[in-house]
Amino acid sequence: MSIQIKDEFRVSPFLVLFLVHGTQYGIGVLSFQRDVASIVGHDAWISVIITGVILHLLIWMMYSMLNKDKGDLITINQHTFGKWIGNLLSIFIIIFILSHTITVLRSYIEIVQVWMFPLLKTWPFALVILLAVYYIVTSGFRVVTGVSFLSVVLPFYLVFTFFVPIEFSNFRNLLPVFDHSFVEMARSIKTTALSFSGIEHILFFYPFIQKPESSQKWAHYGNLLTTSLYLLIMVVTLVFFEHEYLNSVIWPTLMLWKIIELPIVERFEIIGVTSWAVVMIPIICVMFWSASRGIKEIFKVKQKKALVLLLFICFMISCFLTEREMIQQFNKWQSEVSFFILLIYIPILFVCYHIRYKLRRKG
Amino acid sequence: MRNWFRKASVVQEQGTLPALIQYYKKSGDFVHFHNPQTPQPFWISYFGSLIDVEILHRDILPYLQQTALTSLEAVRAALPFEDVLITSEQKKIEDALLRGSVLIQLDETASICALVRAEMKKSREVTIPEEEYSVVGPKEAFVESITTNLNLIRTRLPITELQVKEFTIGTLSKTKVAVLFIDGITNEENVNTVCQRLENLQFHQILDSSFISQLIEDNTISLFPQLIDTERPDRVAGALGEGSVVIVVDGSSHVLIGPISIMELFNAFEDYFVNWQIASAFRLIRVFAVSFSIMVTPIYVAVLTYHYQLIPKDLMVTLVSSRRNIPLPPFLEAVILELTIELLREAGARLPSKVGQTIGIVGGIVIGTAAVDAGLTSNVLLIIVALAALASFTTPVYRMGNTIRLLRFPFLLLAELWGLLGIAIAFIFLMNHLLRLTSLGRPYLEPIYPPRWKDLKDSFIRLPFSKQSRRPHFFQAKDQIRFPAKKVNEVKDIDE
Repeated sequence: MSIQIKDEFRVSPFLVLFLVHGTQYGIGVLSFQRDVASIVGHDAWISVIITGVILHLLIWMMYSMLNKDKGDLITINQHTFGKWIGNLLSIFIIIFILSHTITVLRSYIEIVQVWMFPLLKTWPFALVILLAVYYIVTSGFRVVTGVSFLSVVLPFYLVFTFFVPIEFSNFRNLLPVFDHSFVEMARSIKTTALSFSGIEHILFFYPFIQKPESSQKWAHYGNLLTTSLYLLIMVVTLVFFEHEYLNSVIWPTLMLWKIIELPIVERFEIIGVTSWAVVMIPIICVMFWSASRGIKEIFKVKQKKALVLLLFICFMISCFLTEREMIQQFNKWQSEVSFFILLIYIPILFVCYHIRYKLRRKG
Repeated sequence: MRNWFRKASVVQEQGTLPALIQYYKKSGDFVHFHNPQTPQPFWISYFGSLIDVEILHRDILPYLQQTALTSLEAVRAALPFEDVLITSEQKKIEDALLRGSVLIQLDETASICALVRAEMKKSREVTIPEEEYSVVGPKEAFVESITTNLNLIRTRLPITELQVKEFTIGTLSKTKVAVLFIDGITNEENVNTVCQRLENLQFHQILDSSFISQLIEDNTISLFPQLIDTERPDRVAGALGEGSVVIVVDGSSHVLIGPISIMELFNAFEDYFVNWQIASAFRLIRVFAVSFSIMVTPIYVAVLTYHYQLIPKDLMVTLVSSRRNIPLPPFLEAVILELTIELLREAGARLPSKVGQTIGIVGGIVIGTAAVDAGLTSNVLLIIVALAALASFTTPVYRMGNTIRLLRFPFLLLAELWGLLGIAIAFIFLMNHLLRLTSLGRPYLEPIYPPRWKDLKDSFIRLPFSKQSRRPHFFQAKDQIRFPAKKVNEVKDIDE
């Protein structure tokens, strides 16, 4: 029951690094520090490492299912839970992905509205970005991968900007280490789930990779890259800001950029927010690609039609989310669901799939 | 209406040779005469405007008049030509006549005849390349004649593997088009793609190779050239050696090369004549110049309209003092200046070269200074726009220069709309467009995406020849090895 994709539409396994990293590293980077630090304070960097390790485990689980099934999430769900329940679960995941795109798009527009254009209307900007997404996703998976690749490589210079605040930092802020209980640690991991989610798309694009078994190490490298970048940003944030002050900052990463001064550029955060348009595009593209691909397989409709429908829903809901509190609330729900999907659903699926697999072999 | 034409042509095809000749005679330059004086009378006909009269007088008529012509075979034996065609097929006769053959009949009523080639070969001398001039290196450029052009290429590649496939395209122009490739190096897929597209081509007149490139490109809506045209035979020979397919069109002094990747648009062939370090530096400068040329005016507009906080205090003073008396918003100021530069370019290109220079001086210096003095534009923007125009000329491929000229305006518009963010969005669209483009089915952004590290040796930079022992992966050449790579020398210590 494997899915066969023509070779010309497949991408080389090495690009999985960029797909995984590109979808993980996005809007969360600008704001994830506060939520984690509000629970575990200066030990937040430990919970970043722990989350990274857990995600490596999840990647391993996903690949162990995919390598046996040679399909994608939809076929795995069908093989594990039967056609009806399996498809229902897949639809839930697709709805989750759709709401994730709304979170990313709306949060980004909110940042633009707060930091650059207070009077910017949501709908024209959302429309133009979604048009770009339509253009990219209709070009096929190769182009979606290309966008992830370029959007990781081109704005990579931003990484160097995170080293600048170290000059003004106080490393004593990190002491004492291991100052928080395990329960607090566990709770903090829950808040990072949204920033780290993105690996679940492997479940969709697996059949589109040449020699997919060999891509596992690249997926791990991708996650490693994400974890190290998050770790870097987290440590810099913790040493740069006073703990009490950090709790009042909504976008600590943008605040970090405020310290940077170049001979011809002041207010570097404007450049940062602008570059982030390029950083965030692959996330939305990969998500819409996965969701529309899933709908195509479940309902046997044209992917283009599914895509248009999804874009329309995303556009409408993004426009209705006007208040800052509503967006916050939406993000919070999204984070809860992310946590549920990544850390509960995937392990359960993993166990069930392998039990079913063993049973089927015996029978 | 269409049926009428069809019937007419059918009737003409069914007519006999004498009827055909009667039809041709309607045209004033068709010559048909009878020579009864000789031992054997014969009829001779040709298009006077197509044949070389000297060949007729020197090499055809004397032999016909001296020999007893009993049959057309005797005509063939008598004439000093290697390919006297004897046929009664009307299509062949018509083709040959229109290509400059002389038709010889021994009997005016018979439909069989002999055809002797006597076409007038007229072509320009091979001259110095003007668009792709280089100080070092060969100074030959293609001309309009396909025979001369093929000769220029084949003398650079004297191997039997160089193969030529010929096509005739255009219902009115009947243009000869030749597809060149090296058997055993060029990937057949590329050759087949080109041949397939040429065969399927339906067009009335092919007047230049640019017609072909516009008609067979993968994406005809795109601004970006997906086939390169060049006037340098050495560049063509180099491209053939890499594994490209080359299209030569009769009547065009430009030859098409494909498939190409975007980096090819930044490569001048001169890069191979100079040191590799210098060539690499030049290529990087070109890439920088092109991105500068597209981005700089939009950035000026974006920053001055929305993000003046970005500029440090000292720089701000300069900008503000130059803009103090300007009544226009930055966007209008920039658009007016950009359009002025476009006007100058267009006027300069349409006028004869001497007048063109005057226009340059009048436009550039007089209008520029006057506009600043009158307080219509700031001198900072004047410098920026002029630099951007200058930078757009650095690209070695002329068509790419046009692309850059036009690409600036959507960026400008979005910069006015959303500042730097608008530029980022325009960039996202551009990036996606380039990712989506293909040239003869090969990815356009190649060494960048899909990432192939080995092909970087001849893209942004050019490594020394000793490192280029393999052909670029891009062409999927059948034979990947150019020349055997030198074995890595053992590391020698000092004085050993």
